[in-house]
Amino acid sequence: MINSKNTDTGGDRVEVRKESAGGAVVYRITGKLDAVTGPNLDSAIAIDQESSRVILDMREVTYVSSAGLRAILLAARRAQVAKGGLALFGLQASVKEVFDAAGFENIVPVASDETEACSKLAG
Amino acid sequence: MKQLTLADEIVVLMLRDDTGEIRKECAKVADVAIAGGILMELSLLGKIDTDMTSLFVVDDSPADDDLLDQALQEIAAEPKRWPSARWIEWLVRQNPNLLQKVLERLVQAGILRMENRRYLWVFAKRAYPQNTGREKREAKARLTSVIHSNDVPDPRDTLLLGLAESSDILSSMLSPEEMRRARSRIADVVALEEIGRSVAAVSSNLRTALIAAATARFG
Repeated sequence: MINSKNTDTGGDRVEVRKESAGGAVVYRITGKLDAVTGPNLDSAIAIDQESSRVILDMREVTYVSSAGLRAILLAARRAQVAKGGLALFGLQASVKEVFDAAGFENIVPVASDETEACSKLAG
Repeated sequence: MKQLTLADEIVVLMLRDDTGEIRKECAKVADVAIAGGILMELSLLGKIDTDMTSLFVVDDSPADDDLLDQALQEIAAEPKRWPSARWIEWLVRQNPNLLQKVLERLVQAGILRMENRRYLWVFAKRAYPQNTGREKREAKARLTSVIHSNDVPDPRDTLLLGLAESSDILSSMLSPEEMRRARSRIADVVALEEIGRSVAAVSSNLRTALIAAATARFG
């Protein structure tokens, strides 16, 4: 199943496509995550008891601000509350810099590919 | 009063329960913490955002809070983009009475009361005892909860923890053994937010400069 949600913010857009894969819900994100698009990511990620294992495919994310990082953390928190979890993979170099500066991997699993993200969720 | 802002909460946390005075270990960096709290609140409201290089305005519509709106207007008026650390330092320089402003608004909100006291029958000093202490208890409970769990932290609590760590409040809340055991968790959580990292850096630089100045003066 693929669902798509676009947010056009006058040039800064984020597209979120939802797929089911290996017992988890994978959200494939394209674009920038910031104060404008971050809330839309949060609303696009539906988490409940049945869909609480979440993977974020970040390969097409080109920019993440502090607000964007916070949106991901909020989603991770919701997944944890629902007794699941969230992992992400595919950080571009400039985006990885943001995550490394925040020590994000100490709180939320960061993987190099989708297979590793799945196994980090299971672990 | 609306929900307390992070700037309000950090000042409440800095006050000693027994005297209503600002803790000595916090006094020198209080304004830095308040400036950081203002920026953090604006960030949570979606008015500003930060990235690895700069802080910038996202929405310059009023935040319905005098302290926040003044800062927001000043940031919006600056054509250049500065890093958040520079904005913290600028807010502190431009507002030498930040602590007093926050104390007064907490008095107006009925959270604190102001008492004029005399020491040694001569020296006048103001103290700000809490009226019920509820706000401080709640803030401490949230901090304790985020410190002692392994959960993904709430963003507001993450930011408050960053302010508390930079202001050296945690040493009054936790025993030395608790601090030792929680040090890694505290560091992991505080690092999550860019403005929190900037507050830590500015506070650290200020303490270093003050120690250097005191050493130079007294040898």
